[in-house]
Amino acid sequence: MLINLKKYGKLTVILFYGETMMSAHDQNHPVNNDNSDESTTHFGFQTVEKNEKESKVASVFHSVAQQYDVMNDLMSFGIHRLWKRFTIDASGVRPGNKVLDLAGGTGDLTAKFSQLVGREGKVILADINSSMLNVGRDKLRDRGLVQNIEYVQANAQYLPFEDNTFDVITIAFGLRNVTDKDMALRSMYRVLKPGGRLLVLEFSKPEHELVNKAYDFYSFNILPKMGALVAKDGDSYQYLAESIRMHPDQETLKTMMDAAGFEQTSFKNLTGGVVALHKGYKF
Amino acid sequence: MRQTISQQLMFAQTLSAALETLINQFLRYNLHGTRALKPLSEKTLTVKLAELSFPLSFSVSDEKIHVTTNDEHYNCCLITSISTLIELKKEQQLTDLIKNDKLDIQGDLKVAQRFADIAQTLDIDWQSELAKRIGDVPTYKIGLLGRQLLNKLSFAAKQIPADASEWLVHEKRLIITAAELSYFSRDVEHTEQQTADLNQRINQLINRISKLS
Repeated sequence: MLINLKKYGKLTVILFYGETMMSAHDQNHPVNNDNSDESTTHFGFQTVEKNEKESKVASVFHSVAQQYDVMNDLMSFGIHRLWKRFTIDASGVRPGNKVLDLAGGTGDLTAKFSQLVGREGKVILADINSSMLNVGRDKLRDRGLVQNIEYVQANAQYLPFEDNTFDVITIAFGLRNVTDKDMALRSMYRVLKPGGRLLVLEFSKPEHELVNKAYDFYSFNILPKMGALVAKDGDSYQYLAESIRMHPDQETLKTMMDAAGFEQTSFKNLTGGVVALHKGYKF
Repeated sequence: MRQTISQQLMFAQTLSAALETLINQFLRYNLHGTRALKPLSEKTLTVKLAELSFPLSFSVSDEKIHVTTNDEHYNCCLITSISTLIELKKEQQLTDLIKNDKLDIQGDLKVAQRFADIAQTLDIDWQSELAKRIGDVPTYKIGLLGRQLLNKLSFAAKQIPADASEWLVHEKRLIITAAELSYFSRDVEHTEQQTADLNQRINQLINRISKLS
């Protein structure tokens, strides 16, 4: 295990580059977290050495960070804003709350949370990727959002916070990139306050087969080309499409959240299941 | 668990986003600025309308109003319908509306009143804002056109019902006038009275005949 000390913004963060054990799956059967081979994991549809995944994911996000927001709007036709708004609505956040926006990237959720928690509240924008965090920090500062936001570069598997710290934790379009999802969920559970809630917004499995086929065509044929044209990086968007297929489906993720200790877990499909919002409480 | 089309299309989020943008644009152009929002800082007003399947919550922070569809925490909650919301402009009707179960208020009513005050004191100089973007002359012309259009619309709004009434009542005689209805009702009442009198007279005569026989 590597230990790296990084100074970032207001906090000094210890990053533990965690090891993981995940197996690659048939691309037509995206599920889960079975660990059939301890030395390998998946990176999109590729099987890679477990210690390679983080650096590979990191290089993807270093590459796309600057164009991330533009690409999000283009790829989702702007609907990602509604998905995020749905997440904010489901968070029940109120003035004075402490919120962790994990894998917060360019800070869309943080911006809104920061305004809703008020001066007494606090939002931590955490991301493992320094480029994404830099883009997020610059964007939020340009919007004048400075007073109650802290930036932390952290690995979701080893959250550098005390137990029972946060009222709300969100992870939007980030969990599928985490090497050991079970470990990350347990880590989130640990830092969540009793009564607090976790919201996982992530791509999922469309409910209807027809939508699934259209979505597959769009993801594997159009999306990488769009990435190549706009972000000058088709490979990263090919990874995006593949990583979505490898992510656990709705029921599997719900089971994983249950296993991590969350209670009253539930999920809501958005846009026909293209995206799902999972919710779980710690009591 | 099946979701409705409105949920799938995220109508609630679309509406709240549109409302939020609209409200904050209005506040931005308000001549009195956003000072009125300060007493409402970190306060939330939730409105549950009969016409909508989701609540709308208006929270104030940083001189901005945020609209969400969450009703877990609020300072004041109004449960009503759109038509009643319009009636709420008249404060004296508040008690009547509550008595008639048209309005339910939970929490601090002052919060709702302050939100209403902000809405009523909005003062936007549209012409000045437009002139900044497209120039003085086009703004003047658009303003003139707008006023002419308004005058015509206002005239049409009065004239069309009058013409329709004239055509229906006098030309086609499809509908009777209020006066005609009144005369008819009076005649019916008169006939009814006469019939009752006649009935009474007949009964008296029958009684008299039966006594004689």
